[in-house]
Amino acid sequence: MEEWRQVFYHAMNMFNVVIVSYFFLANGTYTLLMIMSLGSVWLHNRRLTYQGLDELRESAVTPPVTIVVPAWNEQEVIVDSVRSILRTDYPSLEVVVIDDGSTDGTLNRLIAAFRLVKMDLIYRPRLQTKSLRGFYLNPRIPNLLVISKENGGKPDALNVGINICRTPYFCTLDADCLLERDALLRLMRPIVRSPINTVASGGIVRILNGCEVQDGKVVKVRLPKTGIERFQVVEYLRSFLFGRTGWDLLGGTLIVSGAFAVFHRETVIDAGGFQHETVTEDMDLIVQIHRWAIHHKRKVKMKFTSDPVCWTECPSTLKMLGRQRRRWQLGLCQTLWKSSEILFNSRFGTIGMISFPFHLYVEGLGAVVEFLGYFMVPLALIFGMVPVPLFVLFVVLSVVYGAFLSVGSVLLEELTYRRYPSFRDLMTLLWYAVMENIGYRQLVLFYRVQGVVRFMTGFRKWEKVAHVGAAR
Amino acid sequence: MPFLIEHIFEVVISIVIVVLLGTGSLVVAAIARRQRREKYFQRIDDLRQRYSPVIAAVLAEKLEYDRGLAVLKGISGLDRGFVLEQLCLEKKPTSEQVPILRRLCEDLGLVNVWQQRLRSRVDTTSIRDCLARPGAMLERVGRLHFLMRAKAADNLGRIQHRASWPLLVKALEDPHADVQAVAVRSLAAIQEPDSFAPLVERLHAVVLKPAATLSLRALKTALVSFPLRQAVGLIPSLNHSHRRIRFLGTDIIREIVERQGAWEEDFVMDSRIFSLDLIDAFVTRLCFDENPDVRARAAAVVSHLGDPRSTPVLLTLLEDTQWFVRLHAVRALAKRKYLSQAPQVAQRLTDPHWMVREAAARTLLVFGRVGSDHLAAHFLSTEDRYSQEQIADEMQRAGLIPSLLAQYGSEAEGVEGRVIEQFAHMGKTSYLVSVLHHSSEHDLRKKFLENFGRHPDPQIRAWVSHVATQDPDKELRALAEATMRQAAS
Repeated sequence: MEEWRQVFYHAMNMFNVVIVSYFFLANGTYTLLMIMSLGSVWLHNRRLTYQGLDELRESAVTPPVTIVVPAWNEQEVIVDSVRSILRTDYPSLEVVVIDDGSTDGTLNRLIAAFRLVKMDLIYRPRLQTKSLRGFYLNPRIPNLLVISKENGGKPDALNVGINICRTPYFCTLDADCLLERDALLRLMRPIVRSPINTVASGGIVRILNGCEVQDGKVVKVRLPKTGIERFQVVEYLRSFLFGRTGWDLLGGTLIVSGAFAVFHRETVIDAGGFQHETVTEDMDLIVQIHRWAIHHKRKVKMKFTSDPVCWTECPSTLKMLGRQRRRWQLGLCQTLWKSSEILFNSRFGTIGMISFPFHLYVEGLGAVVEFLGYFMVPLALIFGMVPVPLFVLFVVLSVVYGAFLSVGSVLLEELTYRRYPSFRDLMTLLWYAVMENIGYRQLVLFYRVQGVVRFMTGFRKWEKVAHVGAAR
Repeated sequence: MPFLIEHIFEVVISIVIVVLLGTGSLVVAAIARRQRREKYFQRIDDLRQRYSPVIAAVLAEKLEYDRGLAVLKGISGLDRGFVLEQLCLEKKPTSEQVPILRRLCEDLGLVNVWQQRLRSRVDTTSIRDCLARPGAMLERVGRLHFLMRAKAADNLGRIQHRASWPLLVKALEDPHADVQAVAVRSLAAIQEPDSFAPLVERLHAVVLKPAATLSLRALKTALVSFPLRQAVGLIPSLNHSHRRIRFLGTDIIREIVERQGAWEEDFVMDSRIFSLDLIDAFVTRLCFDENPDVRARAAAVVSHLGDPRSTPVLLTLLEDTQWFVRLHAVRALAKRKYLSQAPQVAQRLTDPHWMVREAAARTLLVFGRVGSDHLAAHFLSTEDRYSQEQIADEMQRAGLIPSLLAQYGSEAEGVEGRVIEQFAHMGKTSYLVSVLHHSSEHDLRKKFLENFGRHPDPQIRAWVSHVATQDPDKELRALAEATMRQAAS
């Protein structure tokens, strides 16, 4: 009995060490990313004063781009989205909407709104996809093409878009997203200006809920009404403004949001296109491109920029939030597992030695460690292994540190883009940044752990997050 | 069984206090920043309300220049220079407004300040001025001074300050890539002929030194914006032994020529606007260059030449071994002046590469009726399935089906009926049927029912059935019913 007791105590001690190490590793890295991002985003914002978008807009040398919009049961938002996309300020733009076998009125609404006619055109697939049902065009809107296909999932729809597009670059855009007029120009700027071959460029995704939209354009930026949506505003700021900016600065970009990103077509095709093995095809593609580049000895660059803005609708119910976060976590685990050869592989540089291990141990497995911590640390307290004051201090520290990072992201927003114009919105954001760590963080953690469990049990289903078009 | 180190409480308490203080500072910083920015924007808005109409009136020549200048000179404050810069460059000026704006910036002393900033590696702005505007102090820091140099270069470009071109050329050697890129852009805006050669030199340097910080696209964009008469400055590139430099030189000229071609209908280049040396280089050398990329890009330039050698050269390129050279040659022929070459273009409808086939079909459509006739004739006569598919594709994309059906309905005998039959035979009837569904032309639908009503194509069958059951026209309904019975028997 004494032996078992010893083993138990030993195990508890070990776990306590793990949880403390995890805490300092994660928060230390986040703090570092935040500090770097503060400098980087400030500098980027200054550089925008001489960015020369006019030149990019007017130049014949600016590469043409196709916006690929996969849509599945998006009847509420699709027409507004396509109208907004067609108004995008870009010199040479094509739009391909892929209706992925919708069972609602997505296709019919598009046909009616844009007076499309079914045509029998040639399809030359370079990436394997499910079969197509038809092409819909209006010869008077030559830059819009709608394709109807059998349901095959988002990666399959995106691959159809890649097969059909003729431009050297394509932009993936979720059907529920609204682009700012010059967002594509801004997204293409790093590609055009970089002396190194930039094969992917990602922009910032902001939350549309609560904003006022007219004719597919955000005319007034406001915070959403409900707490769950406001917490997500803070989360998105943290994730995009300092998470992705920081990794970009370190050269460790592992995630470019597929909701709004530009890719070099031939590179994506060479890397195998969007894959079906994971439920986060965007992250999977980025990792694949990294692997392809290393294996083929190609020097490529993937860039995140914080000024091209795309507005998206975030989940407004716990059910939908749960679906989204489970999928993100499941996809993260699947992608990291699939590409485990990158882990501590010095050939991959920052990606192999820092970014990939961080995503695996902190973003992936960290969810389980943190979740277990909520049970094991109190257990250690019960068994007298941790003094009560220390336990309390540790809880306070974790809450305060979380608040520090979230408030930091709000400050970053304030220092740079200031999208929320009213003083009240700023105070609300700061309040939610502080409160995020009490309740909301634990809820999201629970969904993330569910995602990890699903990964362990081999679950692969893509959970659909319904968009209700609330902001339109 | 304590496993903790001795002073863990003190350590954790210290961390908590530090993080709490840090969080508090961030909150205070965010609020203070917001308040400061609001005050700053308030001031800028006030100034804008007062002075923007003055600037607009001066630029539109509705207010006497000297009076406007006197009003603007009245702006005072620590950040006078910055405010004037903001107000003057707030909106992009039209080409007519640029000279007035340039004079205004000169008379207000802004040009001097910008030139000094661009020239020096250290800031010449006073600390008082920097204190008055957010973030300006940081720009004084040595390593961040490039922000000011780049902005100065940008401003000089925006007002097209011709006298500053030597300074901008010098800025091409600036240690910071941003300043170099902005200088390139500003030189393109100014378009000083003497700055073309340094830009070309820079282009060569970037190609030959892969570690260069400037992007090739940025340089190419700048060179392309120069007028056609500058093309002669690219002769060193066209004669260069490096194949990529030859390609870039050719491609830049192609872009300039095509831009000019888009402005002027039937644009033809002769030795008055395109030097004889260049004409010879393109017709005798570049179209036969060992680099296929050069041959491909040269085709577009040659197609605009008034030289009698250009057509035979283009026809040679139509037979090139590289598919993309053939592609560019076919595209280059898409001008009405090459109408007589329609048979040669039509031959490319059976090219092994689909993009060449597609380009050939599109070029024939540009030729109008003559091209369409060639297309239809080829569509009906060829046994090459790929070629037929391509033509069907282009005819649909170009929206020719409604006019095809209209002609079919109005003409007694014609090639249209056979084209429609071919479409039906290929199973490409979606567009045809869609047009018929929305058509109210009695004669057309009747003729179609009589001629194609019994066709086994499922979409035609569905349309006939629809007419038989739902069409308001009794005669057509009866005809459709009879057709369906005949088809069934």
